[in-house]
Amino acid sequence: MNVLIIEDEEALAHELEIFLTNHNYITEICYTGQSASEKIAISLYDFILIDLGLPDYDGLDLLKEAKKNNPDAACIILTARAEIYDRVRGLDLGADDYLPKPFSLLELQSRMQAIMRRKFGLKQSIVELGEFIINLTDRTINCHDAVVSTITKKEFDLIAYLILHKNRTLTRTQLSEHIWGSVINDDYDSNYIDAHIKNIRKKLNVYAAPDWLETVRGLGYKIKMNI
Amino acid sequence: MKLKTKLTLFNAISKLVIAILFVLLVPVLIKKISRSYVDNNLIKQKSKFLQIVKTQGIKNYIPDGETYGSYYLPLKEEYLTIEDDTIPGHLIDTIKNEKRLVERDTIEYRILSHTFVVNKKKYLLEIGKSVATLDETSTPLQSIAFAVLIGMILLTILADQLYTNRVLKPLGQIIKSKLIGQKFPNFGSYKEVKTSTSDFQYLDISIHKMIETIEAAFQKEREFISNASHELMTPISILQSKIENMFEQEDIADELKVRLLEMQKILNRLKSITKTLLLISQIENEQFLKEDKISIIELLQEVYDEISVRLSEKNIAFDILIPQDVILININKFLIFNLFFNLVNNAIKYNKVDGEIVITTENENGSLIVNITDNGIGISTEDMPFIFNRFKKFRQSMQQDSFGLGLPIVKSIATFHRIKIEVDSVKDLGSNFRLIFPADIIGSVS
Repeated sequence: MNVLIIEDEEALAHELEIFLTNHNYITEICYTGQSASEKIAISLYDFILIDLGLPDYDGLDLLKEAKKNNPDAACIILTARAEIYDRVRGLDLGADDYLPKPFSLLELQSRMQAIMRRKFGLKQSIVELGEFIINLTDRTINCHDAVVSTITKKEFDLIAYLILHKNRTLTRTQLSEHIWGSVINDDYDSNYIDAHIKNIRKKLNVYAAPDWLETVRGLGYKIKMNI
Repeated sequence: MKLKTKLTLFNAISKLVIAILFVLLVPVLIKKISRSYVDNNLIKQKSKFLQIVKTQGIKNYIPDGETYGSYYLPLKEEYLTIEDDTIPGHLIDTIKNEKRLVERDTIEYRILSHTFVVNKKKYLLEIGKSVATLDETSTPLQSIAFAVLIGMILLTILADQLYTNRVLKPLGQIIKSKLIGQKFPNFGSYKEVKTSTSDFQYLDISIHKMIETIEAAFQKEREFISNASHELMTPISILQSKIENMFEQEDIADELKVRLLEMQKILNRLKSITKTLLLISQIENEQFLKEDKISIIELLQEVYDEISVRLSEKNIAFDILIPQDVILININKFLIFNLFFNLVNNAIKYNKVDGEIVITTENENGSLIVNITDNGIGISTEDMPFIFNRFKKFRQSMQQDSFGLGLPIVKSIATFHRIKIEVDSVKDLGSNFRLIFPADIIGSVS
């Protein structure tokens, strides 16, 4: 997967590059809109990450160019200007997703995977965990022949996010950012993730022991999976 | 009390006082005036009489040597008598009210008594004018005076009223257009109030200038918050990515990871504050559309889904007692969701274990009232005026992980939708937040 990172903040572009390279993407960086415009015209990419706040170029113009020259590429807008107008305009112009800064790299990755599933029409993504079969498309959990129906939407979101980032420890901060990201509230340190995990374990335990859902002491949680 | 009312009242009272004074004084005055007029008249008659006596002698009045002469007019309103004055050394010259018996009638007269000497003989002259005739003339005079006075007072009251109305009209306009009905801090454009009174012109322009200054200050504050929070987003983003990448690195010791986690938490706090400030500035700059339609019960269900884990942590009962058909229109769903989320979240945070939260609605004059009631720790009276202030932290919120922006968000969202908030709270017993939705954002099921 080829990713073009258009970001004038070098430090951020660099971190994006490290992260995406670690996750087996091939990356290129453009620090200016001008060079990005040239790159878009010449090469083909699977993903184009566009920072809207470029000093030399209107990010939305780049988006238009990308849609023209790279019609198959998925464009994700990254911006510190999280204004509604920009969001609407960006999505109107054909952006596949929109991530307001500051965003979690894990969130970026999950958005990219969601786009891939959508674009390439991946069939049902089904994951087998211990005695459980989890269908991420239909959002169902089965244990042998029984359907686990007690899991709530939030709880499923947590399981899905942990599966997406399998074998990696996710911190409470990262998890709560994912499931409560759109809620603006007054708490900066919610330990409600623990309560959610406790509930998930209790509910799954009725069917079988969810050994794969691990607590990493002092750090967070992870789902262990054989690839 | 309004200035106009005060002026009118003062006018009326001052005129009433004048009228009363006049009513009290007029009879006295008229009596005095007519008396001095009569006295003058009597003195004139006396002089004339003495003149005649001097030139023509006393014989003209007492022709036959009799020492008595009296002359009455037919109505006995005036008379003149001359008689011998036999009391030696008695010389008088007075004017007095006295009674006289005239042909069996006792009549009160104003009498001038004067002794004079002719041919070495002393005479007493009396000229009298009846008091009744005096009163006869003064009574109609008084009533005419009253009538004229009342007329004039009414006329001046009317004139005063009309004039003060006219003069004070610009003041009323200034108050109405510049002060009442201004949605602080969103003022309309400046419209000059037409007046020829320089004080009002000055007032108008001064108020306008003050409004402009306030507006500019507000605008600056908003821009600052908006710019500052935007500018902070990029560095926060870089730090967050760096921490996340480091956290993933396999060769990092767990001890370091724990410290990275702490950094992540702190960064998250910074992020939350910045995001919240940005949200408030976006609401205040009206960057949200109000085009959504949603049933309150559905919205509260969504809030419940988000928040149920927090409720079960404290074993708090959550009752939504709202009819199905209550619909909100022309609102921003994201914002209204956050409004309810924050209020319910607070009701949980500042509640006790096994507490209760009840949400009810009522209708009042076309507007809809949503009550969010909890039996939690409540708000103390001294804290109450500050609960909507940004970054205001109270003793009980210090124990919670909050940074004092929950209720300011609620306030901004409510103001944006013209929802009024009333708070009742009793310390240690609980709080009630009343949201009053205006009639035009309440829809019907269709």
